[in-house]
Amino acid sequence: MRKRVVITGLGVVSAVGNSIPEFWDSLIGGKDGTKEITAFDPSPYRTKMAAEVSNFEPEAHFSKKEIRRLSRCDQFGLVAFREAWRSAQLDRDLVDRERAGVVLGAGSGGILSVEKYFRDFYQGLKRPSPSLLISYSLATTTDHIAIESGLKGLRSTTTTVCSSSSASIGVAYEMIQTGLVDVMVTGGSDSLCEVSYSGFGSLKLIDPESCKPFDKRRQGLIIGEGAGLLILEELEHALRRDAPIRSEFMGYGICADAYHLTAPEPNGEGVERVIRIALDHAGITPEGVDTINAHGTATPFNDIAETRGIKRVFGERAKDIPISGIKSMVGHCLGSAGGIEAVATVLTVENGIIPPTIHYQVPDPLCDLNYTPNQSIQREVRAALSNSFAFGGNNVCLVFKKFSSE
Amino acid sequence: MEVDNKTFKNTSNSELQTPHSPEARRVVITGLGIVSSLGVGKEEFWENCLQGISGIRPIRGFDVNSYRSRLGAQLPEVDFKAFIKPANLRRMDRIGRIVLSAVRLALDDSGIDLKKEDPHRMGISMGTGLGSSDTVDQFFRSLLKEGPIGAAPLLFQTAVPNAIASHCSIEYGIKGINLTFSHKETSTEMAMAFAYHLLKEGRADIILAGGGDELSEPLYHVYSMLGALSPGRGKTLEGMRPFDRNRNGIVLGEGSGILVLETLEHAEKRGAKIYAEVSGVGMAGSTEGLLRYDLKGDSIAKAMSIATKEPSTIDYISAAANSTPDLDRAEILAIKKVFRERAREISVSGLKSMIGEFDGSGGIRACGVALSLHHGVILPTIGTEDLDPQCDLNIILGQPEKREIRSALLNGCSNGGSNISVWFKRYG
Repeated sequence: MRKRVVITGLGVVSAVGNSIPEFWDSLIGGKDGTKEITAFDPSPYRTKMAAEVSNFEPEAHFSKKEIRRLSRCDQFGLVAFREAWRSAQLDRDLVDRERAGVVLGAGSGGILSVEKYFRDFYQGLKRPSPSLLISYSLATTTDHIAIESGLKGLRSTTTTVCSSSSASIGVAYEMIQTGLVDVMVTGGSDSLCEVSYSGFGSLKLIDPESCKPFDKRRQGLIIGEGAGLLILEELEHALRRDAPIRSEFMGYGICADAYHLTAPEPNGEGVERVIRIALDHAGITPEGVDTINAHGTATPFNDIAETRGIKRVFGERAKDIPISGIKSMVGHCLGSAGGIEAVATVLTVENGIIPPTIHYQVPDPLCDLNYTPNQSIQREVRAALSNSFAFGGNNVCLVFKKFSSE
Repeated sequence: MEVDNKTFKNTSNSELQTPHSPEARRVVITGLGIVSSLGVGKEEFWENCLQGISGIRPIRGFDVNSYRSRLGAQLPEVDFKAFIKPANLRRMDRIGRIVLSAVRLALDDSGIDLKKEDPHRMGISMGTGLGSSDTVDQFFRSLLKEGPIGAAPLLFQTAVPNAIASHCSIEYGIKGINLTFSHKETSTEMAMAFAYHLLKEGRADIILAGGGDELSEPLYHVYSMLGALSPGRGKTLEGMRPFDRNRNGIVLGEGSGILVLETLEHAEKRGAKIYAEVSGVGMAGSTEGLLRYDLKGDSIAKAMSIATKEPSTIDYISAAANSTPDLDRAEILAIKKVFRERAREISVSGLKSMIGEFDGSGGIRACGVALSLHHGVILPTIGTEDLDPQCDLNIILGQPEKREIRSALLNGCSNGGSNISVWFKRYG
């Protein structure tokens, strides 16, 4: 029999807050984390904005020696992990560490450090330190978290770019529901780097001002960074130790468009399919869904395809379901986008407040749903979806439900 | 998927042992695709392995004069046009082409008629450590040289690590599960492990599982700077020699191995030939340090014990042994911990001695295990001349061994401490 899986811990580092309370206040207050880039010199670029993490002091969390060996991505991941672990009221002795593991999603990973190395190396300026290369593998943050927490169960890293950490949550869930482990640390971390910024820029996918999902004036993404970590736990295990249960994870869908390397399937067929797979797997009918945390990248094509997909699943009812596009505030955090959005979705279910899509001014006739424009709303949420779609048509949909012990 | 899940949810306990329950559903291997330094296609690969030929040669294609190392196990010239549709081929970089060629070989070998399959019930689970390392490097160098205008969109879209799986879904119209794993030396083993679980859960009928990596200059540079390449700092000769007293690091390799994994029910329905059964996977972590292996072998042992429910039937272990002092010794310790007095009856061998070490090696090594079970032959460990007395198990050196194999384990171990073991059983 399938085991039930609940979320017992949350942690976050983002452009709008480096802890859960700050992050949630910002989201429901409609705060935009977009600023001019400081991670590298943006002056040669047409666009200059990103949703960078600010007020993040590595020295407050790590020793000097650790800082030398940890990429910015590792640091975000570890800080969010510590918050999630604490909030789940877990410590090493409360879990069988051989039955607890880590599965994270990765995007650019430690490439920021690797960029530094190769910039110096190729420009022949100085001999760069090989310790910058420790982060060359995308699995580095996952390993750091497992080593710090001492968790000895299964460990893995998924990497499907923009849907990486949503996929990792699906994988983590699968491993608990089959009974292989009791507790999984999951989600993802990513940091802004010039390679991904210039890459998305070269594809003309970055908006010069702000991220305006579903708005007619939208011109694309604002790249963000940060980490969103969740503790998934087998229900009986959580109940036995009287853990704080934030919501229930009901199921997920993963599928492919098989359409194009960068563009989504335009009619929303892939979006429809992944939502249907997820709902079916979760055993929830479309009528049970009260809100959707959209992928909502604010690229012209994504938002239309996502809107069409949602309409294909929910029909007439689609207009009654408030949709949140939180990338308007936290940016598109690539490898950690799914993790951060999953954290937001759990908070939405827990608090009965739906965060807004900000910068929404001009309706697009092709995006004609209720995107919760500019103001959060209060509403009892039974079940919520979190969508993530990636390059190559890698679609993921996660289903969270208000926890009830019945 | 809808049908299966509903059936599962609605069944009473007595019905749970039908093929619709994960417990009862079986997973088999019905196709193999190999692009390796020992040849393209399973026949050429197998012939070369039997003869104990090494894929390791002096590096071609870039200058290694500034490194202490000279060797690598690189692919021969591969005629990618023979395997990939021309329109898609143009959009793929080298690693995409390598893996997609292995996919073509695996699909052809499986006899699957794509027109008869439901594309939503077919999935892809890929593993790659560093994917398009060469494309990323080209992209970055052009960005450094010319600024933002040098950022090439065509390079960027193929440089993402999941591009391989995307190419695969586009080439064949495969619309089910699509996952990419990247976890150092266990990347492809994990792709197979999760594919196994998803098939058991009824989330697909067929999953193309495996992956690969390329040997590029930036990757060689990184491994060299991190001190991972043979001959390390020692005075001994450069080379891959697992379990040897004088082993001193890895020789990098490249290539791709893809397995067609399928539920037994589906394979039987279409009358597929079956190489072997995948009967379990185990995963466990050690926490000794970021670039460290599991030194005591406890978590490697744990992974093997979770993977197999019938340790007394294990006749062969395809070792992760990669010619580093730490891992080879730890893996031997782990085998002794799990199998105790039976440990010496098990044939242990390390295929990396022939194909080199690389993050995505697990696919090729899994194909090797499937062929071993099928033919009743264990492939040798080559290059090892002076066996480390601490590695005192039945290691198959130099020559292949004919042996009826009831079941076998494939081990994968990564630095940083993720360990995995996959259990294969002879079918029929």
